[in-house]
Amino acid sequence: MLPAHCSRRCGPLMAELRDALDTCAERQRQLERSLRVSRRLLRAWEPAETPAPEPTPGPKTNEEVLPPACTPCPQDLKELELLTQALEKAVQVRRGISKTGDKASSLKSGSIATHATTASAPPRASERKPPRGIGQTTTPASRLPKPRLLSAGDQTCIRRRPHTAKPGQSLRDQPVAPSAAPQAPEAFRLKEKGTLLQLPMAFRKAASQNSRLWAQLSSTQTSDSVDATVFSKTQFLQKMQMTSGWPSSGLSAAEVEAEVGCLQKASSLLRLRMREELTTDPTDWMQEYRCLLTLEGLQAMVGQCLHRLQELQAVVEQPLKPWPEGRLPRASLPCGGRADPIWGPQLLLYSSTEELQTLAALRLRVGMLDQQIHLEKVLMAELLPLVSTREPLGPPRLALFRAVHSLLCEGGHHFLTILRDEPDD
Amino acid sequence: MGRGRRRLRVDPADAAGALPEAIAALSRTLPAGPSPETFRRAKFDRPEAASALWQLLFRVLSQLLADSASATPTPEAQAGWVKSVLLSQGYPRRGLAQLAEDGSQGSRELLLALAWLLAQEPLLERLLAQTRIRLGDEMPVCECGALASPGQPAPTVEAGDPVDVRHVQWLMGKLQFRWRNLMASQQEQCALLGKIHSYTRGCHSDRSLGHLSVAETELLRDPEGGRQLLRRLESENARLEAALAWRCRELVFWQWMDTVLDVCPPETSQPTALPRRRKGRAGELELVARELQALQEELRAAVEARRAAWEARVGSREPEWNAAQRAAQEAVGRELAALRQAWERGGGRAQPHGPHRLMAPGFRLSATPGGPALMGPWVQDFGLSPQKQVDGTGQSAGSQLPRVQSRPWLCVPCLSQGWQEGWC
Repeated sequence: MLPAHCSRRCGPLMAELRDALDTCAERQRQLERSLRVSRRLLRAWEPAETPAPEPTPGPKTNEEVLPPACTPCPQDLKELELLTQALEKAVQVRRGISKTGDKASSLKSGSIATHATTASAPPRASERKPPRGIGQTTTPASRLPKPRLLSAGDQTCIRRRPHTAKPGQSLRDQPVAPSAAPQAPEAFRLKEKGTLLQLPMAFRKAASQNSRLWAQLSSTQTSDSVDATVFSKTQFLQKMQMTSGWPSSGLSAAEVEAEVGCLQKASSLLRLRMREELTTDPTDWMQEYRCLLTLEGLQAMVGQCLHRLQELQAVVEQPLKPWPEGRLPRASLPCGGRADPIWGPQLLLYSSTEELQTLAALRLRVGMLDQQIHLEKVLMAELLPLVSTREPLGPPRLALFRAVHSLLCEGGHHFLTILRDEPDD
Repeated sequence: MGRGRRRLRVDPADAAGALPEAIAALSRTLPAGPSPETFRRAKFDRPEAASALWQLLFRVLSQLLADSASATPTPEAQAGWVKSVLLSQGYPRRGLAQLAEDGSQGSRELLLALAWLLAQEPLLERLLAQTRIRLGDEMPVCECGALASPGQPAPTVEAGDPVDVRHVQWLMGKLQFRWRNLMASQQEQCALLGKIHSYTRGCHSDRSLGHLSVAETELLRDPEGGRQLLRRLESENARLEAALAWRCRELVFWQWMDTVLDVCPPETSQPTALPRRRKGRAGELELVARELQALQEELRAAVEARRAAWEARVGSREPEWNAAQRAAQEAVGRELAALRQAWERGGGRAQPHGPHRLMAPGFRLSATPGGPALMGPWVQDFGLSPQKQVDGTGQSAGSQLPRVQSRPWLCVPCLSQGWQEGWC
């Protein structure tokens, strides 16, 4: 219904929107991957992969995954006993009920389990008696669709069919203690036994060597040989420049892009500062004077930026060297890329999950707002010319106004209602 | 001239072996590094060395620019891409542009290009840092990378297609929905991370790290994956060692590269007609120019008003004001200089950037000097803390948004006038 001319050359706009959507989708995919890994870690681990911690001497002596006497939390273990009993009962109950479907059964077992923990089940002598006939009626944990059901505090721990094979192969294939073999081991859960884990020795060695090498690489030694190297490098570059046939002055495309980026940042910072100055009310003459000086200084800086931009525009229009045709991948500037800290990532301590979530949320919000601002600028550049042409009004044109207004002024959230006001005569 | 062997402090017998060693170390560090023999052939511009060098440059550059889209395997496309990237980075020699793109010649020029890249920046360290294995759970504390920088718009292939405004609305809504999804997933990920960290407290062999990370726990869960991770770690260690070995020996390489330059025929400086650039890429420049011009207008208006008001107020004042005025001028000058630093290239980075490894302190804080950053103060303190970077930008971005949204209101008078005219 909208006239075709109303959206003439929207090429850049559509491309920007698609870019934005694609980057968002890509980021979501990466996040999903990490989520899958994390969720899998918090569920019951496959018994075949239960790690058997090495029998290294130390505070955790004589490690086996299972013996209750050594676990640090006997209370937790007791609760686990009760829980497993309840679950075994649930499985039996479920077998009795016809298989109505995975979800229903798992939910049911969940609810039964929650009731069971409050009930006083008779404590069992051995928690390692294999539950009878779990077999294929057990819903494997991995098939549960809702990760919420498997949150750490949850009670829907579904027992898997225990392997009779050795319950764990660490990276060094440690033999499992014989006492564990006749008993079917339980599934390993990070919540209960996470503190028992130990990294294998080979890995530890490799990791420490890795961090040592990185430290060495990042340290800048000053010695004669290093100075000589730097000197010969600069000499080489100069010689290259001299032997080339092109004039040595002039910026490359990458440099122009980088400068434009800086000017963009300058523009937003200057605007922010101007806003601060304009909104604060000066209380005395000195403040007023400072405000005035600041604004004048800002004006001068904006002038300089504009001047630089015009210079860049001239370079772009008429380059001194051949510039690459076509579209290039945007040079990935690592943030703060000039002084690149290749030394390992610094530590960031957090004290609660909420803090972590707040930081992540704020970060995403900044990114989203930045993107939104950019898109709105592009939208303005594309759409405003369309509505300011003087053309006869009609319903299609009103519809266009309405659409443009909602996009630009309301962020697409609200729409105007346009009423026709009939004169009374 | 004193170049070449006379400069070396080692005797020529050693020098003969030092160069291949240096080049071998370089090769080991680079992805798809060719053999020292290839380098030697390239000095004499042998064609058989060309394709290996094209591939090497392609891999290095595509990794540097993080451009996975250019996974085009055809040698011609590779060669063309390499040429255009080198040109855009400012490669000074004309000989590169004149190389044929069938990938069969130009090995000496490519060798020079590789040396040029190596000389300009710490290329090897950058490459290694990009492919570094992250063992910890990392989270970037800024948004300088990912989504903040909008990509270059594609060439206007669809310039002629009429696009419905409703389609634009729909796409914007879709984008907002995707953002909401992203935020929800991110929250979930943080919660899961917190749990994993707390459950594995106290297990890490390295006492300064209090708990395991997801990668480490995962390697314990999945031995096969753990073995792969170990292999990757070991190969990264090998590359790091090669980089360190290169560092000790690279002087010999640069001296050798001098001789390569000497062997090159001199480039004639004939003026070639340079192609005029396409207008399409100036889009971003124009956007920035428009912003700055609008800003200039606003500032001009504000300054005029204030200056007039000030002059009216001040009128005739005592001379001791001048000292105070000068002090104010200096103070303002300093503030503005600091502001300028914030966007200049090579400016100081007061705010932390980049990924940080997350660490839940648990019940004991590692008291290392210059130790890890605490997140708590960041989240709460709104002073000059790093959080201000995130939050300040959020504020600035958030405060810019209403401005951007209110700008079209300036057009409303003409809109309403148009309506009246249209209806009457």
